[in-house]
Amino acid sequence: MQCFGSRELVDNVIRQDLCIGCGACNDLCPYFRSRKGTTVMLFPCTIAKGKCFAHCPKAEVDLDELSTTFFHQRYGTDPLGHYDAIMMSRAGANAGTASFQAGGTVSALMRFALERHYIDGAILTDRKGIVPTPRFVTEPVDVLACASSKYAAAPTVAAVNRAIRKGDTNIGIVATPCQALAISKMRSNPLNDHSFIDPVGLVIGLFCTWALDMQAFESFLSRRIDISTIKKIDIPPPPADIMEVFTDKGKTEFPLTEIRQLVPETCSYCIDMTAEFSDISVGVVEGQTDVNTLIIRTDRGRELVEEAVSAEYLVLSDMPGEKVEHLRWAAGNKKKRGLAKAKEKAIINKPAGTGISYLRINDETLNTICP
Amino acid sequence: MSYLIDNREGVQHLLMGNEAIVRGALEAGVNVTAGYPGTPSSEIIEAFSKIAGDRNIYAEWSTNEKVAMEVAAAASFAGLRSLCVMKQNGVNVASDFLLHLASSGTRGGMLLVTCDDPGALSSVNEGESRLFAKLVEIPLLEPGDFQEAKDLTTWAFGLSEKIKNIVMIRSVTRMSHASGNVTFGPLPETVPHAEYSCDGPLLDTETGPVISMILAAPELQHGPQQEKLEKAARLFEDCPFNTYTGPEAPELLIVTSSACNLYVREAVHLLEIDDRVGILKLATTWPLPPNLIKQNLMRADRIFVVEEVLPTLEGNIKILAADMAPETGIKTFYGKHSGHIPSVGELNPDIVVSALVRILDIDYRPADATFEYEAAALADTMAPNRGMTFCPGCPHRASFWSIHHAIALDGRNGFVCGDIGCYVMGTLPSGYSTVKTLHSMGSGSGLASGFGKLKQFGLEQPVLAVCGDSTFFHAAMPALANAIHHKSPFTLMLLDNRGTAMTGFQPHPGSPVDVMGEPAQAIDIEAICRAMGAKVEIADPFNLEKTQEMLNHLMEHGEGAKVLILRQACALSPERRGKKKFDVSVDETICIGENCGCNRLCTRIFGCPGITWDNDKKVSRIDTIICAGCGVCADICPVGAIRKKEVA
Ligand SMILES: Cc1cc2nc3c(=O)[nH]c(=O)nc-3n(C[C@H](O)[C@H](O)[C@H](O)COP(=O)(O)OP(=O)(O)OC[C@H]3O[C@@H](n4cnc5c(N)ncnc54)[C@H](O)[C@@H]3O)c2cc1C
Ligand code: SF4
Ligand code: SF4
Repeated sequence: MQCFGSRELVDNVIRQDLCIGCGACNDLCPYFRSRKGTTVMLFPCTIAKGKCFAHCPKAEVDLDELSTTFFHQRYGTDPLGHYDAIMMSRAGANAGTASFQAGGTVSALMRFALERHYIDGAILTDRKGIVPTPRFVTEPVDVLACASSKYAAAPTVAAVNRAIRKGDTNIGIVATPCQALAISKMRSNPLNDHSFIDPVGLVIGLFCTWALDMQAFESFLSRRIDISTIKKIDIPPPPADIMEVFTDKGKTEFPLTEIRQLVPETCSYCIDMTAEFSDISVGVVEGQTDVNTLIIRTDRGRELVEEAVSAEYLVLSDMPGEKVEHLRWAAGNKKKRGLAKAKEKAIINKPAGTGISYLRINDETLNTICP
Repeated sequence: MSYLIDNREGVQHLLMGNEAIVRGALEAGVNVTAGYPGTPSSEIIEAFSKIAGDRNIYAEWSTNEKVAMEVAAAASFAGLRSLCVMKQNGVNVASDFLLHLASSGTRGGMLLVTCDDPGALSSVNEGESRLFAKLVEIPLLEPGDFQEAKDLTTWAFGLSEKIKNIVMIRSVTRMSHASGNVTFGPLPETVPHAEYSCDGPLLDTETGPVISMILAAPELQHGPQQEKLEKAARLFEDCPFNTYTGPEAPELLIVTSSACNLYVREAVHLLEIDDRVGILKLATTWPLPPNLIKQNLMRADRIFVVEEVLPTLEGNIKILAADMAPETGIKTFYGKHSGHIPSVGELNPDIVVSALVRILDIDYRPADATFEYEAAALADTMAPNRGMTFCPGCPHRASFWSIHHAIALDGRNGFVCGDIGCYVMGTLPSGYSTVKTLHSMGSGSGLASGFGKLKQFGLEQPVLAVCGDSTFFHAAMPALANAIHHKSPFTLMLLDNRGTAMTGFQPHPGSPVDVMGEPAQAIDIEAICRAMGAKVEIADPFNLEKTQEMLNHLMEHGEGAKVLILRQACALSPERRGKKKFDVSVDETICIGENCGCNRLCTRIFGCPGITWDNDKKVSRIDTIICAGCGVCADICPVGAIRKKEVA
């Protein structure tokens, strides 16, 4: 992997509107921080090859290298990524109740993982007002407090960096695809640090087609409702095409066509809908509000799911073949759009030494998905 | 007892120019002195305050220069002798009152002492004050050496009383701060009595009210004012401090004044041309005594005027020379207009030498031009090059650190309007380049008030301003009132370091003690801002996290003007000087130095001189002699290598 420093990160990611604000470059050092979704460089840094660049999911992402590291094979042509099984799931009787986004699979699995010491701590995403705020949780019941989706992009990986600096290990993380990508870049030890020990025990990825720009979202809402009284924000699964915002005064609906205006440019370059670089990926199921799509990708993921099922934290069911195909089709569409944009902007597969690429991907996969 | 009140006539002391002025005023029996601190003028009020008790003098640091002049004028109106003192920029502040005072006239002898700073060695500009004398039509005196700084001051009081108007004495940094031998005269023993006679007729200058009011009848006041100036010019014809030295008919007549007199003498001596040039040193530079000028212009056809900074004297002499041309003949002038002398920056003997060499076509080889660069390079090898920075433990560094962070994290391209104080370094890397406008005292708040109103034209950037506690009283309050009244949204960060720190920690209206050591009523800045209607928060700038949080909150929330008082005493203040709160040290095993994750944040960016970089071990270390023990660096170190332990 080609690696550069903070200057290249600023020039090629932040200034190119490619930054999603995942937080991967925050809290590694005193120079990058973010507030309300905006990543800023506080002072110039002169280091030629830095972790900030090395971990960023929008800079020199070498998909073959990552795929080889985690799945022992090069990056394939299936838009759903490498996986073991695809099922439907929901939280079981012992998982507890909370305002889950859908079936509560994510919260159930994280709670279970903490309870059974699969992991020693979990990085989840809570909210302060409408600002998504990462949180380090060690008490299993606290997982429930972080349930439900926050639709603005969150600097969740910054909290991972903070936990690592404090010396935490065996950390579990719930991450959007870009955050999961950043974490896998970090786990691949891109700067060949001899003392590197993988601090991550589990990654549960969330499906994602886009997230919202925090500041744009805030100013959109604050012009329409009193944002200090927001209790919950929901996007019910398709075909409903709305965002629901619940406040003291009840529910306000906004058409998704208006909300999509608030999606940052960088999401249109993103090629990952199902969080391919994770142990388990979880999304919704079209037309159903209380169940999840569950993709098991690794042995560790399978083991956790099986244990959670037998402990009645999780309930599984089969996913009908046409639903899987529909998911594949949707994931393929996102990939095709993202690759086409990256090609158009000429930030993909630049020969080494001729500039910085956003993505690197083998020709076969590239040409299959985006001829 | 201070040597300044040594009462032995004829005794000699080595005095700074500023002290010589003080002694001159003492010999004239000055009673009331007031000023506003500003380099190079500050020693004058300091000196008066130290002998105030011994000589029954009243001394004060006033809220600003205009008030200082008003305080001194009151004494003059009551028949006392008084003096106000300020640096060149201060005259701008006082000029509003000065224009009126020059028109109303004075009673007891009153001097305006201004200490200009050619080269802006410790000023934000080198704007000169001499032009004010011409503008407001009052006499201007400029001492040409240290003895004269004393003698001319004493003489000036008499002049002021003879013409019944304020007299301006102008010094410059090299006169105020350099020292020379001064022979003392006697100190008067009269006990003055103050009384303001004001019951007489309206325009009676002795017994009536002292007013500046022309009301469409300029002949009533403006006419007499000009007569005073004409009288001064007549007195200047025989002024003992205007001197000529040199041959009767020199090849070149040099006309000079002030510290330039010393440069000229040195240059003439160096070139050994005393027999070729004559030196007319003028102490009375406005109005010029025409006969004296004429006599001297007759001496030579070529005239060389040497002065700092603008061609002021040069212009005035040329005007006279034009009128006198039928008698004196046409002269060739050298100086600033001819390009022989720069009209920017300080002069020195070398500049005068090279001008003389050109004018007189002298074969003189000064040191090779490369010498200067070689000398500078050599000096660099012996003394490290150090940028301008805040002192170790300075609260401003911590404040600007937080301001920089808050603005960057806010992400809307906010900016800070600044003004004058140590915090001018907020414009430099030592203040993280956060300050983006810098003008006169209090102008940051005024500009911010204006920027705040540009929202209707699309300005979306958050507007901030900084101002010091002394500056707040001096000039920022009207600006803040303006902003509050007009609901201009900006955040004023009041850097309250408990004194007028930049000029040597003089008290201001917020201080509990005055310059003479007497208890004073300390005015509560916070209460003022609240009473004016601002939302006020207070933070300790050494608490970086809280300060940043508050700033971000203030920038985002609430309407109108908001004030954040960042309160922490100056590192050199009596309460902090020499007292460390923390013992600070670096744990070398933890410091990651130049590696990814830090890259020398403390020594490369934070920049406190108390932290140094050990280039052999590649770790930071604390210089315990320089460290002021504020402990702020312990909070910025990303890996916790800097440790602070409270001093028992
Ligand atoms: C920005 C975003 C976009 C999404 N887009 C889609 C989509 O297009 N299609 C789809 O099928 N599913 C999408 N999802 C996933 C979906 O909304 C649910 O999160 C997922 O189905 C899990 O449901 P659950 O009931 O198990 O979640 P819960 O048990 O309620 O748990 C939700 C978990 O999500 C985490 N989380 C919340 N917000 C964020 C955030 N902004 N960043 C990181 N982690 C967060 C919390 O830590 C919590 O643990 C999206 C999620 C997010 C956050
Ligand atoms: S690492 Fe994340 S936050 Fe940092 S530049 Fe990349 S996308 Fe933005
Ligand atoms: S679409 Fe991609 S870049 Fe945008 S939030 Fe989702 S995973 Fe991140």
